[in-house]
Amino acid sequence: MKQKQKYIAIFLFLLPALLLFVGLLIAPIIMSIYYSLFDWNGLRALDPSNDFVGLKNYATLFNQRIQFGSALKNAFILAGLSVFLQLPFSLALALALGKKIKGERAFLSIYFLPVLISTVVIGQLWLKIYNPEYGILNTFLRALGYDGENIRWLGDQSIALGSVFVPTLWQYVGYHMLLLYAGVKGVSPELREAAKLDGCTDWQVNWNVVIPTIKPIIKVSVIFAVTGSLKSFDLIYVLTNGGPMKATEVPSIIMINQLFKANQYGIGSAIAVLLIILCFFFAILIGFIFKERDIYGKK
Amino acid sequence: MKRILAVLLVLAMVFSLAACSKDEDKKPDNNNTNTGNTTTDSGVLDKEITLTLWDIATEGDGNRPAYDKALADLKAKYPKVTITETVTENNAYKTKIKSAMGANELPDIFFTWAGAFLGDFVNAGKVHCLDAELQPWIDNGEMTAAQLGNSTYNGKHYGVPTTYNIVTLFANMDILAKVGYDHIPATMDELNDCCDKLLAQNIIPFGCAGKTDDTWCVTEYLEPIIEKTIGATALKDIMTFGKTWNNQGVASSVDLLQSMIKKGYFDPDGIALGNEEVKQNFMAGKYAFYQNGSWNCGDFSNAEKVKFTVKAGEFPVVDSANGKLGMLIGGPSDTIAVSEGANAAAAAAYAVEFGRLICHYGYLEGSGLPAWKVWGDTSSVKPLVQQVADICAKAVDYVLFGDNAMPADEAAIYLEYVSSVYGGAVSGADFIKGLTSEIR
Repeated sequence: MKQKQKYIAIFLFLLPALLLFVGLLIAPIIMSIYYSLFDWNGLRALDPSNDFVGLKNYATLFNQRIQFGSALKNAFILAGLSVFLQLPFSLALALALGKKIKGERAFLSIYFLPVLISTVVIGQLWLKIYNPEYGILNTFLRALGYDGENIRWLGDQSIALGSVFVPTLWQYVGYHMLLLYAGVKGVSPELREAAKLDGCTDWQVNWNVVIPTIKPIIKVSVIFAVTGSLKSFDLIYVLTNGGPMKATEVPSIIMINQLFKANQYGIGSAIAVLLIILCFFFAILIGFIFKERDIYGKK
Repeated sequence: MKRILAVLLVLAMVFSLAACSKDEDKKPDNNNTNTGNTTTDSGVLDKEITLTLWDIATEGDGNRPAYDKALADLKAKYPKVTITETVTENNAYKTKIKSAMGANELPDIFFTWAGAFLGDFVNAGKVHCLDAELQPWIDNGEMTAAQLGNSTYNGKHYGVPTTYNIVTLFANMDILAKVGYDHIPATMDELNDCCDKLLAQNIIPFGCAGKTDDTWCVTEYLEPIIEKTIGATALKDIMTFGKTWNNQGVASSVDLLQSMIKKGYFDPDGIALGNEEVKQNFMAGKYAFYQNGSWNCGDFSNAEKVKFTVKAGEFPVVDSANGKLGMLIGGPSDTIAVSEGANAAAAAAYAVEFGRLICHYGYLEGSGLPAWKVWGDTSSVKPLVQQVADICAKAVDYVLFGDNAMPADEAAIYLEYVSSVYGGAVSGADFIKGLTSEIR
């Protein structure tokens, strides 16, 4: 009887959080899955018997015009750059700052500042930097002796994607740096000192002691970087909105355009569902890759 | 000291973020009581009521002065009516209003575009029919059925037109004078000759924005070319009445636009620029021509550098077998609508008078031509607006802006193809083939 009362108490204490979790996370996902099965514009009332199209919306995503596959490829490129460029750079900064250098707090604040600034503001800033006529980038190149046509950083299909990714990666360097810095600071000084006494250089201490110790935080950073890249939207929306001619489109841009410009609520919901599946898949995959194993590769 | 500095930094950040917010609540000034000759039965507006209003008249928008004056007039006339206005930037507004529609959270009164955009809302059964409120104005000749045509669905009126606009070819006459032109080129031969001479003097003839959000700017060039090639009726059949895009005249129009781009008639940087940047370039004298909506008349009339040098004209006829001068792109599109709901009766009465006042002040300020019968002193109408009015006086036919005329899903596909045309990725043949297979 006491045991039963205990379970009831646990359930009652969990209930508010459970309701919030189901209401704010699970229910919208289920609704998105439901809507993704209909040809519906989101404005009129849904007619389940007439509007049901099954998985047709998912197939439509990969037709020649919507080019969801190409947008997905762009998101994967961004994820790759995040993991192999942004994170190592953030880690290097975190390791450097973790050594109690002079002005540590000031550097921390400076690197973290782009995370605090509104993405719209950052977008406007980079629009000015990239402006083909008066942008600081072209002005700088001309000062170096470049005298060709204005470079259209956001208007040329061949370079627009790279141009959009630079600020996207730059903005969150400070975010990952702060996560990793917290980990670096948490490494026991005794471990460092022991390694030093054994004759390790700074590089060897970082490689053999600090990085293995903060592996769980690196895992979190990688998950955030990959899922964040798959969901990337705001800065690209401000800079190019997916243009020129779809060159910088990512899945979220297509989703918004289908939902609110083309009034294709079913297709937009299908993209939302695919993004959720992809984010879960990569979070689990990364978790699996980072699992601690013994020397024989077994858990 | 450090703490004070930190507090100041935080405050600066909060204010900067607040300043970046796109939405803003505005309260009208109560300093103008001229409401003209109104006849609406406004008894419903004599009691305390708060109405919500959403529109796109942002601070820099040419319509803002007209909105402010209209709100002030109505505040004086109906002191018990409180308007809570939310202003949103054009593109964000399209998303916002559709989201609100889907969530049944429409404001009492809202700005919309006539044609298919409002049509989707009407079909969803969420817009209040304004027949009763508009009928007295139609009966006394203040409003015509023709002006209401774009917001009439199944014979019922669902919108109050404010001003109407057409695609206008704005020309900087000082620049044209440098190549020996004292008039806007009236034929394609003249236009080509003028552009070649401008290029010889390192002057860019046309400016056109090509950023993805501003693809509609490219349609301001493409649609008049198509209309002057295949004629207004044929274009209307395609855009409004669902005829096939498989039309060789459309293909040759696309090819003509692309040949102009290839010849260097358009600013190559345009594809990376937004409309506001291109417009500023024109006002700074970088381009000889800028083809866009007549709502720009107010801005050009007030800009110090170009207010005496800009003239308004229309794009020349391309194929005289079908196209004629006076075939125009545009018509009444800017519309005020009312949502179904508890406040619908009061909102409808308010919206009709509000729309009429925006029309009056917008005409005087140069943000458009009057969809309503003109009243009051119009001696202050800007000369540039008068030039556009003269063009409209000789109008043969109007075709509504393509992205307004077509349903949202078709318009989205159409704009994607137009963007590819400007980027040189599809030819005229590809354009009609693609639109034929994807739309009809």
